[in-house]
Amino acid sequence: MKPVNFDYARPGDVAGALRLISDEDHTVKIMAGSQSLGPMLNMRLVQPDLVVDITGIAELRDVGDGADAIVIGACVTHADFEDLRVPDVTRGALPSVARGIAYRAVRNRGTIGGSITHADPSADWISILAAVGGKVTLQGPAGSRTVAVEDYMLGALEADLQPGEMLVSVTVPKLSASARWGYYKSCRKTGEFAHAIGSFMVDPERGVSRAVVGATESRPYVFKDARKLIGDGKSDLRLDSKLADELVEAEGMADPINRQTHVAALRRAIERAQTA
Amino acid sequence: MNMVNLTINGKEANAACEPRTHLADFLRETHNLTGTHIGCEHGVCGACTLLVDGVPTRSCITFAVACEGAAVTTVEGLDNDEIATELRAAFSREHGLQCGYCTPGMLVSARDVILRMQDPTEHDIRVIMSGNLCRCTGYVGITRAIQSVIADRRARGIAAIPEGGRSRLGPAGSGNSGAASARASGSKVTAVASERKAPTAATRPAVRKDDGWKPQTTFTQSFTVAHPVDVVWDFFGRVGEVASCLPGASLAGEPVDGHVEGQIKVKVGPISAEFHGVADIARDDATRTGTIDGTGKDKRSNSATRGRIGYTVQEGNDPGATQVDVTIGFTLTGMLAQFSRSGLVQDVANRLIAVFVQNLEAKLTHQAGGGNGADAPPVITEFDAGSLMSSVIIGQIKRFFAKLFRRS
Repeated sequence: MKPVNFDYARPGDVAGALRLISDEDHTVKIMAGSQSLGPMLNMRLVQPDLVVDITGIAELRDVGDGADAIVIGACVTHADFEDLRVPDVTRGALPSVARGIAYRAVRNRGTIGGSITHADPSADWISILAAVGGKVTLQGPAGSRTVAVEDYMLGALEADLQPGEMLVSVTVPKLSASARWGYYKSCRKTGEFAHAIGSFMVDPERGVSRAVVGATESRPYVFKDARKLIGDGKSDLRLDSKLADELVEAEGMADPINRQTHVAALRRAIERAQTA
Repeated sequence: MNMVNLTINGKEANAACEPRTHLADFLRETHNLTGTHIGCEHGVCGACTLLVDGVPTRSCITFAVACEGAAVTTVEGLDNDEIATELRAAFSREHGLQCGYCTPGMLVSARDVILRMQDPTEHDIRVIMSGNLCRCTGYVGITRAIQSVIADRRARGIAAIPEGGRSRLGPAGSGNSGAASARASGSKVTAVASERKAPTAATRPAVRKDDGWKPQTTFTQSFTVAHPVDVVWDFFGRVGEVASCLPGASLAGEPVDGHVEGQIKVKVGPISAEFHGVADIARDDATRTGTIDGTGKDKRSNSATRGRIGYTVQEGNDPGATQVDVTIGFTLTGMLAQFSRSGLVQDVANRLIAVFVQNLEAKLTHQAGGGNGADAPPVITEFDAGSLMSSVIIGQIKRFFAKLFRRS
């Protein structure tokens, strides 16, 4: 359970990190809090020649406030959200979900950028950020680009990173005062990876109604216009379970029990939000 | 070896270590602080939990070199800590330990609960402590010990500090020092060239046959290509071309008596493997069925795989179309087998096959248009889904799946 002997570099800025990961002759891995990569290194599933630690880059540990969104550096931790060191603009959605990620000792080092880029289908950030309409910004040799969180994840453990590119920040829109959200994950044991995730966000003022079925075998299923599925948020929300089942099946989930678990997770996300 | 400087239990300390040395090993091996216990060594059991910059951290999945300049407190450093002192008395009183292996991690996590949570219920405590495992099933005693210390402290008017006193953003232990780099002894960055030479024949496993081998995992896939059945059957006989449709695969040469050597590179997220191996190929023109038996080894991860691919080529439902049924059975052993979440393997296999079908279709179309099949560049030559599958291609594959695949 010891990693292979890798070289280590801790660049002081993004340009330095990009220079290091542009090395095509060696296996180079970016590391932030090491809470996903650490276990994979220890088990030698990952055997890099060079590990680039990006936590020394000050701008990646920063939060910027904009008019209708906040921009969170890639190395901001789950505990930073939980403890409100990151200002909450989501009516409690992100702090609440952060509180349920793994365990406190993991949350003190695990980062939002690392979790999204690791792209485990069962991880929490991808599902809740897809629901609130989060975006990621990537920087690479060709400049920077911004994509929706759900498009950034391509499949199990695959993020849309071009060679030499890295995630630098996550953008979260400010929800309006009438916005509601819900999140439910089905786990057999507290803190373990979820078997099914349901999540939604309705913001009638901004005309948004989004629903997410996560912890699939691959990318989350994101219903960007979920008015028919859950409602528009102007009145009580109600899940159309039959439609949900059809939509989830159309996305490729063939097993009926698996579908039922996922639809139930979405229903609970809505029910619990109603009573909250 | 590189020098790492920390403040350990209030004193400045340093020692040389490899970049791969995790914090728990660093403390135990270079400072004899064996109070930090190592259990699962992949962040699950919580035995190694200690304080880094004042907050609980898993020291088995945190590298010492990444904590340069950080303040580390181990269980040895909690002797005079007020909460820890009260906790030790409560653990004794409530029988919160038996063998003691989990106790250092339990004390650190319990101290954090008492510090941060004002008035947790028993359920809250069980949830927040769920990242620390005890095999003597001492949870009842542990929970009671925490409850009693909290009740006592709140009665004395000591309030909780919800954020645990941390004001800085970013991973605990990081951001205490500037840019740096550290080289591993025998660094691969210089040694890599010699490692890259092709494996010798002696290291290649031979295909074993008829030894009653059964694959661990089997799945079947069907797809349809819009080309006549004779053309597709002929194409499947040209092994080199078939291999070139499979992303990441290449052959060492043309097959001799149905025996061929080759390699396939697969990259899934941070995991990359390069399997070198041999395959035996058999075809039956009468029934238009074929089998490929292969074994391969990935030297880097010391993993081995053995597989059998069976395929049947028959006329499709539409005139001029061909249906191909593929059965893939495989067994994976070694390091990579630890990563055995079947859903993920299936997702990767689906994506791999989707690209294969896309390449096959492109080649056959090129060939039908009068081109030499061997000249046609495959659409995708390396399976690295991360960098290759743009959203456009994903859309294509989705439509492809919807139209062509019937998942069994």
